Amino acid sequence: MSAPLIPNLFAVCKVLVAAIIGIVQSIIYALSGPIPPLRGLGDWLGLDAVITVVTYLIVVTVVVLWVTVLNLFTVMWVERKLYSRLQDRYGIMISIWSLPFWPFNRVHRPTHKGLGYLQNLADGVKLIQKENITPRNADSAMFHISPVLIASSTLMVFAVLPWSSGFYVANLDLGILFILAAFSLAPLGILIAGYAANNKYTLVGGFRAAAMLLSYSIPMVLAVIALVVFTGTLDPVKIVQQQDRPLVAFGTTLPLPAWYVFGPQFLGFLIFSVAMIAEMERVPFDIPEAEAELVEGWTTEYSGMRFGIVFAFKWLRMLAACALISILYLGGWSGPVFTTLSVGGIPVPIVPEEIWFLLRIYFLAAFFVVLSWSVPRVRIDQILNIGWKRLIPYSLLAILVAAGFRVLG
Amino acid sequence: MAVDWELIAFFILSAFEIIGSVLVVINKRLVRAAFWLAMTLVTIGVIYLLFLSEFVFLIQILVYAGAVPVLMVFGIMLTRRKIMDEPGQEAPE
Repeated sequence: MSAPLIPNLFAVCKVLVAAIIGIVQSIIYALSGPIPPLRGLGDWLGLDAVITVVTYLIVVTVVVLWVTVLNLFTVMWVERKLYSRLQDRYGIMISIWSLPFWPFNRVHRPTHKGLGYLQNLADGVKLIQKENITPRNADSAMFHISPVLIASSTLMVFAVLPWSSGFYVANLDLGILFILAAFSLAPLGILIAGYAANNKYTLVGGFRAAAMLLSYSIPMVLAVIALVVFTGTLDPVKIVQQQDRPLVAFGTTLPLPAWYVFGPQFLGFLIFSVAMIAEMERVPFDIPEAEAELVEGWTTEYSGMRFGIVFAFKWLRMLAACALISILYLGGWSGPVFTTLSVGGIPVPIVPEEIWFLLRIYFLAAFFVVLSWSVPRVRIDQILNIGWKRLIPYSLLAILVAAGFRVLG
Repeated sequence: MAVDWELIAFFILSAFEIIGSVLVVINKRLVRAAFWLAMTLVTIGVIYLLFLSEFVFLIQILVYAGAVPVLMVFGIMLTRRKIMDEPGQEAPE
């Protein structure tokens, strides 16, 4: 029903790596006339094990660049533009013609009437140039290890998160559980960051973040359990395959797809979405960094690129959360292909799975942005009440409903 | 020469685990002790992974990496201990 643009990322990268290594090998063999020991190096490069290892590194690099360069910048730009429009202003508008060196410093080009897409890149360059300040009485080792913990645990999510049925680093049988485990590692880093900076605001922010993330990861996992009663698997690719069929056909042209959100899983979908907004630390659940009370929450004392990392990785967690919601409940990357072009004998779908998946992710991201810039913040005791007294009983009810529908067939 | 990489990995992980668990006991700062406890528990999880039981590994990460911050929060909040170093003062014992 749907087709991926990249049928198998590993195989594609392996072909490319083998071609590049072949070129390098022929150069080395040509050089081995005057320098004979290079022949052994050329033979070693041609080994299948070497090509496989290099391919794994290339695959990881491709996915990391795809996630952090393309999608992170895009989702940050979407948020900044969209909330500016919600506040009735233009937002970032710096265009590429404002760069002060040769091909861009044209005289008659408008410098401040662009889309502002590269503003986040400029902010990143600015943050890299800034000094990394450690507070005087901070616990230095723990202060510096927590951005590493937060960044690595967030990137671990993307090691198993598939972007289509062929575009992933690794496809585990327990992929969803791995993603949830990687999500649940972040409170440790956040609490360490809040404690180690030796500042009242960061300490309160870290405590609030840990209490909130922990109380919301329980309904998150319970909602996934309610889903697993139906799917019978934790493999994200198989979960999407199960949703790639029509549920009810209205007439002949417009079938309602069998997404898990339509049906007994609707309660689980609501619980999972609310828990994910809390995991993203967004308004209405942004009490860990309530700007009006705690300067910047647990990120207050970070400066330079460390602040950039802990700040930007919230958007990366938002991307992962949107991808997870759409995989589990909204049909993942399933969608019609319409027609398939043939480019040099290779069939290329005109609307591949990646496009459908990105559409869902950015729709959800835009929804969360609009939601978080239009509702007030919830107080910390209300947050914990919602988590423990509402969401956990409702998620147990969702498990009961799912089990009941499963038994009845 | 055949090298048993799994055995070497097991020894390295066991060394980390023993060092971590000793540091949990002898460390006088509560937060650092909890951090070393987290490292010990994650290392035990990786040893489960070495035994090819991925599910137990993931549950270990999910449960213990989630439970250790709770331990930290309640250990710090419920004990009447000075939790922040005042400027110009040594670390609390």
